[in-house]
Amino acid sequence: MNLSILLVALLASPLVFTLIMAATPQSAGRPAFAGMHMASLSIVLGLSLAVGVPALVSGQAVDACGLWLHVDALSAIFVLLIGIIGFLTGLFSLPYVRHDAEAGLMGADRVKQYYALYSLFVFTMLLAAASNNLILTWAAIEATTLSTVFLVGIYRNRDCLEASWKYAIVCTSGVAFGLFGTLLVYANAADVMANPHEAAFFTAIMPYAGQFDPMLTKIAFAFALIGFGTKAGLFPMHTWLPDAHSQAPSPVSGLLSGVLLKVAILVIIRFYMVALAAVGALFPSVLLLTVGILSVVTSAFSLVRQHDIKRKFAYHSVENVGIIAVALGIGGPLGIAAALLHCVFHGITKALLFCLSGNLLMTYGTRDLRRITGVIEVAPVTATLLTVSLFGLAGFPPLAMFVSETMTFVAGASAHLLWVVVVVALALTVVIAVIMQIISGSVLGHAPEGQAKGDVEPLALVPEFILLACIVWFGVATPTPLVAGVENSCAIVLQSDDLDALHTAPLYRAVFDSQAAAPQAADVQNG
Amino acid sequence: MGYTLVNILGALLIVTSTLVLLSKTTRRAVLCYAVQSAVLVALLFTLGVTTGARELIIWAVTATVTKVIFVPLVVWNVYKKMGCPDESNLASRLKPAWSIILVAAEVLVCFVAVGGIQLPTAAAVRPALAISLAHFFVGLTCIISSRNIMKQMFGYCLMENGSHVTLALLAPQAPELIEVGITTDAIFAVLVMSFVVLRIWRGMHTLDARDLTNLKG
Repeated sequence: MNLSILLVALLASPLVFTLIMAATPQSAGRPAFAGMHMASLSIVLGLSLAVGVPALVSGQAVDACGLWLHVDALSAIFVLLIGIIGFLTGLFSLPYVRHDAEAGLMGADRVKQYYALYSLFVFTMLLAAASNNLILTWAAIEATTLSTVFLVGIYRNRDCLEASWKYAIVCTSGVAFGLFGTLLVYANAADVMANPHEAAFFTAIMPYAGQFDPMLTKIAFAFALIGFGTKAGLFPMHTWLPDAHSQAPSPVSGLLSGVLLKVAILVIIRFYMVALAAVGALFPSVLLLTVGILSVVTSAFSLVRQHDIKRKFAYHSVENVGIIAVALGIGGPLGIAAALLHCVFHGITKALLFCLSGNLLMTYGTRDLRRITGVIEVAPVTATLLTVSLFGLAGFPPLAMFVSETMTFVAGASAHLLWVVVVVALALTVVIAVIMQIISGSVLGHAPEGQAKGDVEPLALVPEFILLACIVWFGVATPTPLVAGVENSCAIVLQSDDLDALHTAPLYRAVFDSQAAAPQAADVQNG
Repeated sequence: MGYTLVNILGALLIVTSTLVLLSKTTRRAVLCYAVQSAVLVALLFTLGVTTGARELIIWAVTATVTKVIFVPLVVWNVYKKMGCPDESNLASRLKPAWSIILVAAEVLVCFVAVGGIQLPTAAAVRPALAISLAHFFVGLTCIISSRNIMKQMFGYCLMENGSHVTLALLAPQAPELIEVGITTDAIFAVLVMSFVVLRIWRGMHTLDARDLTNLKG
C-alpha cells in the first residue's frame, strides 16, 4: 500500500479513536474504553512500523498532504519510538487503571478521560514528529501540553492540581519562546525565498538557510532552544518535569519521559540544522553544551535529595536529556549519532522504569523510597526487572545506554573536548551512587512488617519484559535498521554524505558491525 | 507616515503591557489586556494598509474577535464563576517602581539585540520590532512576578501578543493559515489554563501561587 496513505492513517487513527471515546458514554464501562484504547495503540504500532522502518532503512522519505507531512530517517526514529513505547505503556495502562479504579482512585469519568486523552497525546506527538511545517510543529508541541495537563492532574488531589498548573504555565510560556524562534525562522526564510508560501516548510527552507540573517538566526535558535528545551526538560527550564512526572499515572510518566522529551529534542535538532547551515557549528554548540552540562550536573546533585522514586526518575530524565544536548553540542557525525541513539535507549529504559514504579506503587501504595524496602522478598520478578533496568540507567554494560554514553564520551574525546567528558563523567559517578542506593536500600533490605507478598499481575509484567529484552538486545547487538537509520539521520542533520568521522571513530565498527555503507538518504539535499 | 504610526503603536503596546503587569486585580488585568489587544489590532490594521498586505487586515479582524473579546471574556467568566474572590493579599512580588525599571531595561536590551538584524523588512520597523521582542520578556516578567495565578495567565497572553506582532512586522505576507493556527492554539491554551485555575479554586480555594509550592526539590 502507498506509504503516504499509511502516514495519513497513522496520524488519523489515534485522533479518530479519541473522538470515538469522547463520544462514548462513560456508562459503556472500563472494558469498552480499554478495548478502544488498545485498538487505537495497536493500529498506531502497526502503522508506525509500516511507515517508519522503510524510511529508517532506505533513507527514502515518506511525504503526505503536499509538503505538510514528511517522515525521513530522522523523524522515523521518533515515530517508531512513539509507536512502540506508546503501545507498551498503553498495555501497562490496562492493569494499572484497573487497579486504580478498584482502589477508588479513578472513577468511571476519569477512566474514560484517561483513555481518550492517552490517544490524543499519542496523536499530538506523532503530529509533532511527522510535521514538516514549522508552525504546525510548534502547534503540535503546544498541543502535547494541552492534551496531557488533565492526565497529569487526573487524581485531582492537591499535589496533582499543583503539578498540572505548573506544567501548564511553565510549558505554555516556555513553548511561547519556541513560537517566537519559529516565527523568526519563518520570517527569515520568507525574506530570501522566491516563494514565501513555502517558507514554513523545513525541507523547503534548508537549501536557503545559508542565506539567512546571522543575528536573526542566532536569536531564533536561542529562543527555540529555550522554548522546546523547556518541553525537553533541559536546565533551567526543567522545573515542571519532576512535579508532572511524579504526579501523573505511571504509564503516562513513562510516555512523558520516554517519548515526549525526545520529540522535543527532535524539534531542537531541526532548528540546530538551520543554525548549522546559517551560522556554523560554534554558536549552537556553545548553547547546547552549556545547557547540557548544567542539566547533567544539577540533576545529578538534585537526585541525591529525592525520596520519591518517580521524582528520582524524573531527575534522571533531566540528566539524560542533558547528555543528549551535550552529544549534540559536541556535534559531528559521532556526536549526532550518540545523541540519537541515546534518545532511543533512554526512551526505552525510562519507559520501563516508570512502569516498574507503577508496580511498586500498586504493591506498596507509596512512592516513598524510605517505605519501599525488601522488594526482592515482596515481589521478586519486579525486583529482578528493577535491578537490571537500574543497571541500564546507570549506563552499565552490556545494556543499551552504555553504548550511547560511551559514544558520547568518544565523540567528546575525538572533538578534543576532554573537559566536557570529565565533567559529565564525574556527574555520572554521583548518578551511579544514587542508583546503587536504590538497589541496596529498596530492592534489597527487609520488607516492612505486614507487607503482603506477591508480584503484580502478568499483564503488567508482559510489556516490562519486552522493554527489558529491548534494553539487552540493543546493548548487545544494536539492530541493523536502527544503525542504518541513525547514519541516514546524521547525513540529514549535517546535510552531507561524508560520514567518515563516524565510521572511523574508535569502537564504532566493532560495536555496530557497520559496513560503513554510504548513507542512502535520498533527500539529503532537501533536508 | 504609516511606519511612524506603526512604531508609535508599538510604543503604546509596551505601555499597555506594563499596565497589565502592574494590575492589582484580575478585573483590571482583563481590562488592560483588552485595551492592549485593541492597540495590537490597530497596529495590524495600520501595517496592513501601509504594506498593502491584505492578510494583515484579516488578522486585525480575527484578533478583534479572539484577543479583544474572546480571551478577556473567558478569563472574566472564570473569575465570576469563582465568585470574584478577594485578591488584596496577592500583590506582585515586585514593587511597581521596580517593575517599570525592569520593563525599561528589557526594552533597552531588545533595542540593542535588534540593532544587529540586517533583514530588509526589519529596517523600517526596527523600534516596533524591538518592542515586540521586549513584549515577550514583559510577559515572562508577569508570570514570574505574579502571585496571582489568574495574572500569570495574562503573562502568557502578553508573550503570545509579542510573537504575533513580530510575525506581522517581519512577514506581513504570511498566509492567514499561520495566523489562524497560532491564534487557535493560544485560545486553547487560555481555555485549558482557565479550566485548571477553576479546578484549583474548587479544590483548594486559592489563587495564590504561594499555596502551590508543596512539590519541591
